[in-house]
Amino acid sequence: MSGSQPIIQLQNIEKTFLLGDLNIEVLKGVSIDIDQGEFVALRGASGSGKSTLMHILGLLDRPTGGRYLLQGEDVANLPDDRLSALRNQLFGFIFQTFYLIPYISALENVMLPGLYGATPARQLKHRAEELLTQVGLADRFHFRPGQLSGGQQQRVAMARALLNDPQVLLADEPTGQLDSATSAEIMALLQSIHGQGRTVILVTHDAATADFAEREVLLHDGLVQDR
Amino acid sequence: MTAWSRIAEIGLIAWRCAGMARHALWAAKTRSLFVVAGIALGIASLTIIVAAVDGAERKANEMVAIFGPDAALVLGGNIESRAVGQRTLTLSYEDAAVLRRSLPGAYLVVPMRAKSNVQVRYAGRVTQVPLVVGTTAGYARAWDWPLSEGRDLSEEDLTRSARVGLIGDTIAQELFGKQSPIGRTVLMDRFPVQIVGRLSYRGVSGGGGAVDDRIIMPITTLTKRFHLERNYFRALRVKFHDPEYMSAHVENMRSLLRHLHNLRPEEEDDFSILTADEILQFLSTFKGGLILFLGVTALVAMVVGGFVLANLFYLGVDERRSEIGLKMALGAPRWAILTQILLEAVGLTLIGAILGMFLGMAMGQLLARLEVLEILFSWKVFGFALFASLAIGLIFGLKPARRAASMTPIEALKGN
Ligand SMILES: Nc1ncnc2c1ncn2[C@@H]1O[C@H](COP(=O)(O)OP(=O)(O)OP(=O)(O)O)[C@@H](O)[C@H]1O
Ligand SMILES: [Mg+2]
Repeated sequence: MSGSQPIIQLQNIEKTFLLGDLNIEVLKGVSIDIDQGEFVALRGASGSGKSTLMHILGLLDRPTGGRYLLQGEDVANLPDDRLSALRNQLFGFIFQTFYLIPYISALENVMLPGLYGATPARQLKHRAEELLTQVGLADRFHFRPGQLSGGQQQRVAMARALLNDPQVLLADEPTGQLDSATSAEIMALLQSIHGQGRTVILVTHDAATADFAEREVLLHDGLVQDR
Repeated sequence: MTAWSRIAEIGLIAWRCAGMARHALWAAKTRSLFVVAGIALGIASLTIIVAAVDGAERKANEMVAIFGPDAALVLGGNIESRAVGQRTLTLSYEDAAVLRRSLPGAYLVVPMRAKSNVQVRYAGRVTQVPLVVGTTAGYARAWDWPLSEGRDLSEEDLTRSARVGLIGDTIAQELFGKQSPIGRTVLMDRFPVQIVGRLSYRGVSGGGGAVDDRIIMPITTLTKRFHLERNYFRALRVKFHDPEYMSAHVENMRSLLRHLHNLRPEEEDDFSILTADEILQFLSTFKGGLILFLGVTALVAMVVGGFVLANLFYLGVDERRSEIGLKMALGAPRWAILTQILLEAVGLTLIGAILGMFLGMAMGQLLARLEVLEILFSWKVFGFALFASLAIGLIFGLKPARRAASMTPIEALKGN
C-alpha cells in the first residue's frame, strides 16, 4: 500500500434508522476521503447527522449502506475484537457531553483507555499525569469530575483521548457546552494536537469553530459538500 | 504477539476489570449492601446446617463410643408403642439370671434400677443427687467407665446389701472438693453410705444429659433402703463378645426374653433393646430433619439473594449504560465488560459469603450455648460457602453481564 493512501475512505455511506415503521434516512450516500494528518471540520445544522457520521467513523456504529475503508481495509469485514482494538489504539474520542466516570478521579479517568491494554500501570499513570499537565490540570489530578468546571472536564476528556497516542482524534462538538473563552482554549489545544501530526476530525455546527480546521466538509440533507 | 504475552495481557486486563468492579460496587453502596445481606443470610443458614450436621455426627460417634459398640441396653416396656398403662417393670432377676447363664456371647449382664432426686449430705454440705442407680457387680466395667479411684461394686456388696456406693465426679467435687471421697461416709436420706469408688469424669451420656452427678449402689441395698419393688428392675445392660455379630446377639436375646415372658407370637415385645446402631439410626433421622429444615431455609434465602442480585444488576446495567458505552468507545472488548459485571456479582456474593460464615458461626455458637444444637465447625463450611456463593454470583450475574456486553457501543452510549 502506498503512503499517500487516505487513512479514511467513505464510499456512499448510508445510515437509516428504523423507528417503528418509520424509516429515518439520516445519511444518504456520504463519500469523503481523509488523509493522514489532516484537520477536517464536519459542519452541519443540528440534526443533519454529524454525530451519526462521527459514530460510524469511530467504529461505534455500522452504516446501513456503502463502504468504509480504514487504512485501506473494509471495516465491515473486521471481527468485533479487532474493532475494539482499533477504537482503543487508532482513535481518540472527545464527546460533546464529556462522558467522564463520576466516581473516579480525573487521573483515573484519563488512564481508562490504557487499562484495556498491556501497558504497565506505572507507565500509564505517568503518561496520564503528563497529559493532564499538558492540558493545564497539573493541580487537579485527584479531583472527581463533579469537582471540575465544564472546561476542565473537557480537558480531562482530551487528555483521556490522547492516552493511547491515537492517530485519529474524533471530537464531537467539544466546545458545545463551553463559553467562548474556554472554547478558544480548547480549540487551541486541538490545534496543538493536530500540530503533533495527528488526524483531527472536528464536528461542529458553528462556522467560526470550523475555521480552525484546514478543510471543511458541509453536511446537508444527508449528503456532503466538500470545500 | 506470542500466545504467552496475549495470555498475560488478558490476565492483566481481567485484573484491572476487578479494580473497576471494586470502584463501581463502592459507588453503588446501597445496592451492594442489599445483595450482600441477602447472600449472607443464605450462607449463614448453610454454615449452621453444615456445622450442625457435623455436630450431630460427632455427637453420634461420642454416644456410640460411650454406649459401647459391643453393648445392648434392655429397657422394660415397649418404647416404640408406648401403649397406655403398659407395664415398664417387666424385667426380673430371673430374666437376668437366665441371660447370664445361657445367652450365647454375653459376658456381662447388669440389671439397673434408679431412684431420682435423693438428698445427700456430708459434713454440713447438702446436695441433691438427680439419679441414684442400683446395680450389680461390675457397673464400671459394664459401661466402660473407668474409676479414677477406689474399687467397683463386688458380688459380696450385693449379697450383703452393703451400704457402699460409687460416686460421680461432679458430686465428689461438690461434697469433698479436692479431698478424696474414698472411705468417707455420706448420708443419703438419713442412712449412711460409704463411698468405695469414684467414677472418672465423663461429660456426656448416651442420652445427652449430664452423667457425672450420680451415685451407684448395689441394687439390693437400693431396693431395701428406698422400699422399691424387689422382683423387677428397669433396665439391663448386656455386654457381648464379638461385636461384629451384634445383630445376631440382639435377636437371640429378644427370642430368649420373649420366651421368658411367655409372649405369644402376635403379642408385641414388652421390652426394648437399644444398641449403638439404634442410636445412630435415631441420630440420622434427626440429622435428616435438620438438613431438610435448614436446607430449605438456606435455599430460599440464597435464591432470594440471587434474584435480588440479578434484579439489582439488571437495573444497574440500565443505569450504567452510558458508562458501559463509554468503555466500549474507549476500546474495552466485550469480554472485559462481561468480566467486570461478573466480578461485581461474584465479589458481592463472596463478601456475602464471608459475612454469612461469621454470622452463621455466631448463631451456631449461640444455639450451641442454648443447647439447641450440637455444632462442629470445619473447613468444609468454608468450602461449601465459597462454592455456593461463587455459583450464585456466576449464575445470577451472567444474564445482566451478558446483556451489558451484548449492547452495541452506540446504543449503550446513547442510553436507549
Ligand atoms: N437511534 C436513532 N433512532 C432514530 N433516529 C435517530 C437515532 N439517532 C439519531 N437519529 C436521528 O438522526 C438525525 C441526526 O442525528 P445526529 O445526532 O447525527 O445529529 P447532529 O447533526 O449530531 O445534531 P446536533 O448538532 O444537534 O448534535 C436526527 O434527526 C435524529 O433524530
Ligand atoms: Mg451531534
